[in-house]
Amino acid sequence: MRKVQEGKPKLGISVYSYCQVLGRCMTLEDVFKDMYDCGATHFELLTSHIENYPNPSPQWIDHYFWLCEKYKMQPAEMGHWAETHLRRGDRMSDEEVLFNLIRDFKLANLLGFKVLRTKITTVNLYCDPEPGWERIIEKALPYAEKYDVMMQNEVHSPTLLTRKHVFDYLEFIEKHKTKHFGINVDFGTFQNAWPEDIYSPEALKTLKQRGFGSEWSKPEDIKAVLPYSKACHAKFNYVDENFEERTIPYNDVLKIMIDHGWDGYLISEYEGPGRDDDAFLGEQMRRHHIMMRRMLGYC
Amino acid sequence: MVDNHFIQMRGFHNLYDENGKCWGFQFCMRTKYYKGIWLSQFRTGNVIVDGVVYPKDTLIWNIQGMDYTAEEMYDRTDIYWQVNEIATVKVPKEGGLEQGYHTVEVEFGWVCNYNTAVEPEYDGSGLGTMGPYIVLGTGQRVVGHPTERRLLLVW
Repeated sequence: MRKVQEGKPKLGISVYSYCQVLGRCMTLEDVFKDMYDCGATHFELLTSHIENYPNPSPQWIDHYFWLCEKYKMQPAEMGHWAETHLRRGDRMSDEEVLFNLIRDFKLANLLGFKVLRTKITTVNLYCDPEPGWERIIEKALPYAEKYDVMMQNEVHSPTLLTRKHVFDYLEFIEKHKTKHFGINVDFGTFQNAWPEDIYSPEALKTLKQRGFGSEWSKPEDIKAVLPYSKACHAKFNYVDENFEERTIPYNDVLKIMIDHGWDGYLISEYEGPGRDDDAFLGEQMRRHHIMMRRMLGYC
Repeated sequence: MVDNHFIQMRGFHNLYDENGKCWGFQFCMRTKYYKGIWLSQFRTGNVIVDGVVYPKDTLIWNIQGMDYTAEEMYDRTDIYWQVNEIATVKVPKEGGLEQGYHTVEVEFGWVCNYNTAVEPEYDGSGLGTMGPYIVLGTGQRVVGHPTERRLLLVW
């Protein structure tokens, strides 16, 4: 038996963190083994990791549940996409988009996920949604209820928590009084440092060119969305040997979450340099979990 | 397991018909993104080997065992090219390539429906919103991912 003290929030890991090594030098089982060693009890899977998506074979499904059982891991969030431009020309009809959403709801339900990270089609870097999103989500709500899933839109850097569309989402939730639509806060939105000993000059140039790094959310901005969030991406870019994240004010953010009694899933998502090095990545993931455990008062 | 570079060393060789006549060559690749893509979101251009251009319309893309032309992929919203799945690109060229090193470049991109503008080429004739260049939300294009690899051919 491994010694894991569970508390609230629950600690998870996104398989996305391993996307540059999975299938190259690690199998899905290697990833589960790594997550287990980190002390995570929950995980996020993207549809990108489901063999033969959207129609996984019974053999793959058996293997998936076997991994969950063997490594004592529980499904937390499934990342999927609600795209409206899958082909050239006009956007798809609402019915076509809805059909794809329902297909993913069923799959999430089958694989044990109750939370979805739903990426709605957006029109710019700041992820402002394509007009008409309310119509599609509204139509999807009864099916989300039927298949017991909550769609969560992600607030991801460089989008700020104070961006207008975030308030539009909150207004939509209140208007419909629904528990099936919410927000996943990606902690990258709080990133306020880009240290030169972590990022290469080329990486910094690219980030700047693409519009990242000029502004960031304040930790207190998370308060407004916490009641509507069941899973957040605990994004990290580098944890040092003293178990301190060098780019995101974790202490401030987690303190607010604890003070508000937030009891969702904190899902580690590594997005710093060196993701293609399995040994470096594994060390970062362990440092990150030691850091979070200490901040949360878990052992 | 797949090669770390998106263009694979494995699978690079000439192609022969049943009479032993060499009619072209092939190489293998995976997508470069963390997310799988529907074939209808995939955008292709030419293949360029050692500076020689092999036009888009002559290429055959074999995905999940099925051959497609670029045109045939545009409307396949039902085939999902998953991460780490290997596609074979078949390039007609009588006599094939000579044994030795070749620099293989493939022009391709995909349509990403977030963090970017909507696909600028409405008819799908471009390389989508991500690939060798990335279309920013402003419509501005910035350099994306490298698209070539030096490969070694035995036969």
